[in-house]
Amino acid sequence: MTTPQNVLVMIKQVPDQSAKAGINPDGTIDRAKAKRMLNPFDRFGLQGALTVKKLTGAKVTAITMGPPPAVEILLEALSQGVDKCILLSDRRLAASDTWATSYALSKVIEYTGPFDLIFCGLQTTDGDTAQVGPEIAERLNLPQVSYCEDFKLEDGKFLARRVMEGGHQWVSMAMPGLVTVANSYHHLEYPSIRGVQKVQRLQRDEEALKALIETVDLDIVKADPKECGLKGSPTIVARTDKVGELGGSCVLHQGETIPTMVRDVMGAASALKEFALA
Amino acid sequence: MTDTPQPSAPNAETPSAPVTPPAAEPLPTIVTPSNKEVVIIAEHFKGTLQPVTYELLGIGRDLADKLGGKLSCFLLGFNIKEQAQSLIAAGADEVYLADHPELELYRTLPYKRVITEFIKGWELPPHIVLLGSSTTGRDLAPRVAACLGTGLTADCTELDIGPYEHTNKADPDKLGIYPGCLYAIRPSFGESLKARILGPWNNPQMATARPGTFIPLKPDANRTGVVTDIPINLQGEDFRLSVLEIVHEISKGVDLADAEVIVSGGYGLGSADGFKLMEELAACFKNSGVGASRKVVDVGWIPYQNQIGQTGKTVRPKLYIACGISGAIQHRVGMDKSTTIIAINKDASAPIFKFAHHGIVGDVYQVVPELIAQLKAAQGSCPTVKEPALV
Repeated sequence: MTTPQNVLVMIKQVPDQSAKAGINPDGTIDRAKAKRMLNPFDRFGLQGALTVKKLTGAKVTAITMGPPPAVEILLEALSQGVDKCILLSDRRLAASDTWATSYALSKVIEYTGPFDLIFCGLQTTDGDTAQVGPEIAERLNLPQVSYCEDFKLEDGKFLARRVMEGGHQWVSMAMPGLVTVANSYHHLEYPSIRGVQKVQRLQRDEEALKALIETVDLDIVKADPKECGLKGSPTIVARTDKVGELGGSCVLHQGETIPTMVRDVMGAASALKEFALA
Repeated sequence: MTDTPQPSAPNAETPSAPVTPPAAEPLPTIVTPSNKEVVIIAEHFKGTLQPVTYELLGIGRDLADKLGGKLSCFLLGFNIKEQAQSLIAAGADEVYLADHPELELYRTLPYKRVITEFIKGWELPPHIVLLGSSTTGRDLAPRVAACLGTGLTADCTELDIGPYEHTNKADPDKLGIYPGCLYAIRPSFGESLKARILGPWNNPQMATARPGTFIPLKPDANRTGVVTDIPINLQGEDFRLSVLEIVHEISKGVDLADAEVIVSGGYGLGSADGFKLMEELAACFKNSGVGASRKVVDVGWIPYQNQIGQTGKTVRPKLYIACGISGAIQHRVGMDKSTTIIAINKDASAPIFKFAHHGIVGDVYQVVPELIAQLKAAQGSCPTVKEPALV
């Protein structure tokens, strides 16, 4: 029977899409200039991992891959209650697609040692693929629950409620296993003052911080650089097109009184009356 | 850790390219071997084929014809044999049937095992493998792709076949002209981009397609095709996950995919309370539902099931009323096929006014109550909302 003792959570720093900074006129992202944030979906994965910690006292390790500023999200994870962090940072990872990313991350996981559960966010807001979690599971030959929106631990099994079209299902997964957490997981907590203060203290104590956030590169985790980055990626973005301005036929009502504008639209859009209940 | 197949370098080259580039050294034409087959993985729930499967057969037929190859379809399940004929009627030339009690309900590992072991046994791999980007397809596709050691593009809104010229010298091993690539096209980060993603160095080239995006063929009962039983060799480790129960939630509202009228709210509503107003407006219409943009789902104002857009549902109602929604590309791809779009937004420069049919620049909290009042005056009265009609 497995009681989870070691839990990993995979997180990512993404550009903040709501901030205008770093958005080039052609619609591409200048990641150096863009405001950075923890991938919103990863809050749910992080919370899942911390919930297991609450239930079993498991040790939680947060893992991320990215350039050095990604340490910011690891500090955030520490303030939430994560015990240890690993940052995989290596220039040779640039331009990795999901396949190459899942390779590099699976090597970090192997380097980290035994684990019972791996939590991931469902997807990232900069890639929107939802692929890296299941690809890691495949590389490590793990069972998986994707779209997990609730869970409990029972008889050494991970019981998960999984979103499906038109409903949900309950599944029972043997551990070790991988979980991607949907954004309908409703147990989100925010960092406590104590957690934030702990991190503030840490930031003044370089030695203590180093003990909690380990930075590794491809050589340390024994990853083959040929499998990473542009060379290791089976897909590329061949081109991007600006999406054409559609229609241009919008009849725009503005500057008039609300009742007038509504009346004009009521008159012009026959569907409003057609589908209104009698 | 299991040994994972390596992405293989192209191994069939024909030295002289048919195109004649000006002075520069001609790029070789590189053909990654495949049997030109387009493979669909059918999705069903307790034996009922899901609409996305017919949509995949529609686009798959088109791609197979362009490649001059066959369109085939995996059908895994239990007592499901008779569905094979409807797959053929909908465009498949061959159905790979795996009928087994352990395959009755979808589970990642058994399904992955049957599909990948069968494909790995072929002399030449298929050219393309497509799944729907449903909760099932997005669960299975990355496992199949990773197991076959190939690339995967998520959630495509357009799929096509065409050549690709790889000229990036940072990656010299891949320089060349690749005919017959799968163009996997999807909206991309940054609000206004469509990305064309390719991976011609490995076959199959894989993608998931957004439900509701592609058009099924008209079913033709006279179409002929082959049904082939395929081997099923499940292993003990495939049963590390079991399904305990399935709950179909009877949505209190109408399923958004079938709704004729959708009232959608965005971040401009300011708070979760705004959705009460959306409910009230939706209640003025028959066969209506409430939708939402992703941002309001992310902040928890409304459940994921109500999300419309790239990572939510794609809908085509007769009437779509967007309230406080800016109209970013991620939302637009999920609703821009609606017959009539009415947008209400404070910001006259919001992108939604570029593709809506009717727009009102104003505060949602002033415009919507007025709209409700005028609808009531025109039609008698709207029923009062007793409970949220959210799914």
